[in-house]
Amino acid sequence: MSSFFRKLSWLGRRRQKEAELAEELDFHLEEETEERRADGLTEEEAGYAARRDLGNYTLVQEDTRAAWGWTLLEQFIQDVRYAFRSLRKSPLFTVVAVLTLAFGVGANTAIFRLMDQVLLQLLPVKHPEQLVLVAERGIRFGDSWGDNDISYPMYRDFRDGNQVFSGMFCRYPTSVSLGYGDRTDRVAAELVSGSYFPVLGVTPVIGRTLTPDDDRVPGGHPVVMLSYSLWQKRFSSDQSIIGRQIVINGYTFSVVGVSQAGFDGVELGYKSKLFIPMMMQAQMTPLSDRLEARSLSWVTAFGRLKPGVDIAQAKASLQPLMHNILEVEVQEPTPQHYSDYDRAQFLKNSVDLLPGSQGWSSLREHLQTPLWVLAALSGAVLLLACANLANLLLARATTREREMAIRLAIGAGRRRIIRLLLVESLLLSVIGTAVGLGLAFLADRVLLAAYFPADSAGDFPISSVPDVRVLVFALGTMLLTALVFGLAPAIQNSQADIVPTLKDRTVGGKQVFLRKLLVSGEMALALLLLIGASLFLRTLANLENTGPGFSTEHLMAFSVDPSLNGYVNDRAKDFFRRLNDDLQALPGVSSVGLTAIPILQGRGWSNPVIAEGYSADPGQDQRPICDMISPKLFTTLGVPIVAGRDFTVLETRPVALINETFARKYFLGRNPVGLHIGLVDDRTATPDTLNLEVVGVVKDLKFKNLRDPASPQAYFPYWQDEKSRFMTFYLRTRVDPQQVMRGVREQVRHLDPNIPVVDIRTIDEQIGLSLKSERLVASLSGAFGALATALALIGLYGVMAYSVARRRREIGIRVALGALQSDVLWMVMQQVVVFSSAGLVVGGLLAFALSSLIRSQLYGLQPHDPFTYVSAAVVLAGAACAAGLIPSWRASRVDPMHALRQE
Amino acid sequence: MKEKTPSRIELLQGTLDLLILRTLVTGRAHGHAIAKHIQRTSEELLQVETGSLYPALQRLEAQGWIAASWETSDKGKRAKYYQLTTGGRKQLASEHSKWKAFSRAMQLILSPGEEEAQ
Repeated sequence: MSSFFRKLSWLGRRRQKEAELAEELDFHLEEETEERRADGLTEEEAGYAARRDLGNYTLVQEDTRAAWGWTLLEQFIQDVRYAFRSLRKSPLFTVVAVLTLAFGVGANTAIFRLMDQVLLQLLPVKHPEQLVLVAERGIRFGDSWGDNDISYPMYRDFRDGNQVFSGMFCRYPTSVSLGYGDRTDRVAAELVSGSYFPVLGVTPVIGRTLTPDDDRVPGGHPVVMLSYSLWQKRFSSDQSIIGRQIVINGYTFSVVGVSQAGFDGVELGYKSKLFIPMMMQAQMTPLSDRLEARSLSWVTAFGRLKPGVDIAQAKASLQPLMHNILEVEVQEPTPQHYSDYDRAQFLKNSVDLLPGSQGWSSLREHLQTPLWVLAALSGAVLLLACANLANLLLARATTREREMAIRLAIGAGRRRIIRLLLVESLLLSVIGTAVGLGLAFLADRVLLAAYFPADSAGDFPISSVPDVRVLVFALGTMLLTALVFGLAPAIQNSQADIVPTLKDRTVGGKQVFLRKLLVSGEMALALLLLIGASLFLRTLANLENTGPGFSTEHLMAFSVDPSLNGYVNDRAKDFFRRLNDDLQALPGVSSVGLTAIPILQGRGWSNPVIAEGYSADPGQDQRPICDMISPKLFTTLGVPIVAGRDFTVLETRPVALINETFARKYFLGRNPVGLHIGLVDDRTATPDTLNLEVVGVVKDLKFKNLRDPASPQAYFPYWQDEKSRFMTFYLRTRVDPQQVMRGVREQVRHLDPNIPVVDIRTIDEQIGLSLKSERLVASLSGAFGALATALALIGLYGVMAYSVARRRREIGIRVALGALQSDVLWMVMQQVVVFSSAGLVVGGLLAFALSSLIRSQLYGLQPHDPFTYVSAAVVLAGAACAAGLIPSWRASRVDPMHALRQE
Repeated sequence: MKEKTPSRIELLQGTLDLLILRTLVTGRAHGHAIAKHIQRTSEELLQVETGSLYPALQRLEAQGWIAASWETSDKGKRAKYYQLTTGGRKQLASEHSKWKAFSRAMQLILSPGEEEAQ
């Protein structure tokens, strides 16, 4: 150990040690000389003899230095210095190489960071890997808020009856109004079961967490926990907040604790600020009492597996329990009216367990496939960048053949040369990665800003701060790329044929072949990426062109929820009616309509219906999308009523509007106007009351999103529904909607300053938002495709230019012997055509094989769309020819006299 | 580069360190003097190569068995003198006994029967 430290201290004063060694050896020489002279030699002879005796002075020095123990490190430093110098000497090469790498590494790092945060990050809780999400599969009855949600009673049954979980909890996200001091805000909150914090193992920073004792009596636990970030921002990290009163949705709550830093609930993309006991549900989401409703699937339920139990075992163990629950539920009103077949199917429903280590996220579900696609594309870009760099290095290797031959001739080991060249690649890699990381952070900032709407700015669900995992990823990519693109050229270079090279003879035909192979590979990858890009771009264009079924010009929307300020039932309806009238009177507004469910936001309320003279096939989905609307909604949207009439404000009888698809499905060519339909109520389930008269049929429009084809839809007057809570207003304007927005806000404030206006934007903006993941994929894959094409063309140009330069003499002879300019041009172009088309064929086949993987991401075209393939290939082939033409043209202009004299 | 007289014996691996340590028992010395001392004492049979001597000195210094200091030589020139440390003395003792055992073993195998005679 002490020897190590001595060596370390020597490393620090290496220069001094060098000087001392030189002095010591000089002293040795002098002594030796003197001795020889004493033996009777002349001064000169003595000096020579002494030197002879000492041997190779430099070697002695080197061997001695080796005893200091830092040879490898020193050689490495030498190599790095040398690499720096040689890179500085060829700035163009360095810039191209660094940029190529920076784009390759940058693209991958940017995508990796998104993937890491959206797909890979685990919840910051105790043993997240033990968490599973409990869901039901099969026929569901009643209302469901999400495919993986279950009803609260079902959660309770699982919680009390299971043998496989050490604990279970459930949660439901909802927005609430938070009043403290003189300010009221809308904040994201989570209704949580009392077991939430104990089961997750999340601790408080101050105060205490909620416990099962805070969650026993419905409406009886006005206590709340704050998230760390809310506590910091809104309450300035005030320690004395514990025990204070805050107002949530008009109810007074006392703060019991602040949760640990970094914990924002269990849903990615939904940062919960308040944690409220589940038993306060009726107070937090007015107008619905869900705790006992088996027909409402609205909570996300998680369980923590007991140690040693895996998902499959747990599922098997829970299934009998599930069956017992179903036996109870089949007695509920709705299933009672099921046909025997449906009942049998219902009783076969199964329990499903999903890994819950990452919590739950609709964001993740939406982005999962796009992100994997992007990761694959960016990986291909990196591969292409590596091929291009290998190509550049091979070209460089050729120009350095002489240098290497000289090195080898004067005794450098081949290993040492490979090492030197690898250090050069590594250095390039390091610089490229550094630049790439910068690019990646920049790119992620832009992507996040583009992906998340501006009104959630400052509260991105995903942070853009670099972390260790990303740095490790970038470092790994860097080392790997350095090896991939550096090794082959380095080995090739170290094998320089000394004699012919030094004699100025041209060697290395193999190298040119390797380079052409690389360029073919690049062309293949570029075609693959181009085809991918154009598939995604055309998908986006198709979605944008298909439109929602109405004109979006001069159309805007916003939402209000007066129940947050205590408006219920008739007061709420009155509020909507007055706001409707006020808006109608605004200058610039031509028409106003409102709907309970916003259009094209992925939402839909599905309700079973019955129709006059229609008998359903068993097993068929009888649940059209239903909505509560106002008169003139369709006028506002510009959707024509093709038969019958619109609602009127004076409507008192129960009436309904249906769309064309509904009419086709349920009334089969009959005129639906005047016929009756009935809604199956979840609670009472009285399917035989055909109480709603169809007064009109509207043209089909896209409701949930742009992708799904129009489905059966039914509309009812909102004031005939007993509960109205959240409404979205649509305004058709005569002027630019932006000019109207201020007036809209003023009208709402005028009616009640405590009701916030939410999501106010034009429909074009909203459609843009609904297409954000398509846009993300399309724009990134487009950028990757362009980058890939540019890289491949640079590679192609480089290899052809080099090959022409190499064959100058040969071309000179050909021209001297009578070859025409066009012959020479064709001779070179022939090569371009041969290896580009080889690449194109391979790339086309690759794309053909891989593109079916992205079928679900496409819209309006097939993954094997011939037009896309052909046009991408034509574009790339054209670009390749253009890139090849420059060196070919140069070759055709070779002056034989010049070329032959040069050598 | 260097001609070698056949009468000279090449040093065995590792023995140079032992010889240097032994030489320094009599007092401090510079590199050249150490080499000359070994040569003379061995009746010119052992030739210390400069290319091995100086690395060996550095090695021993790194181990902490010898210490170096710059001093003025008899002829008034600055020279690097080496001297044995306590650790070096211990090392010498242990190496010496190992060497004795080794040479006895060699003797026993190469010339059986001569052991008693000695």
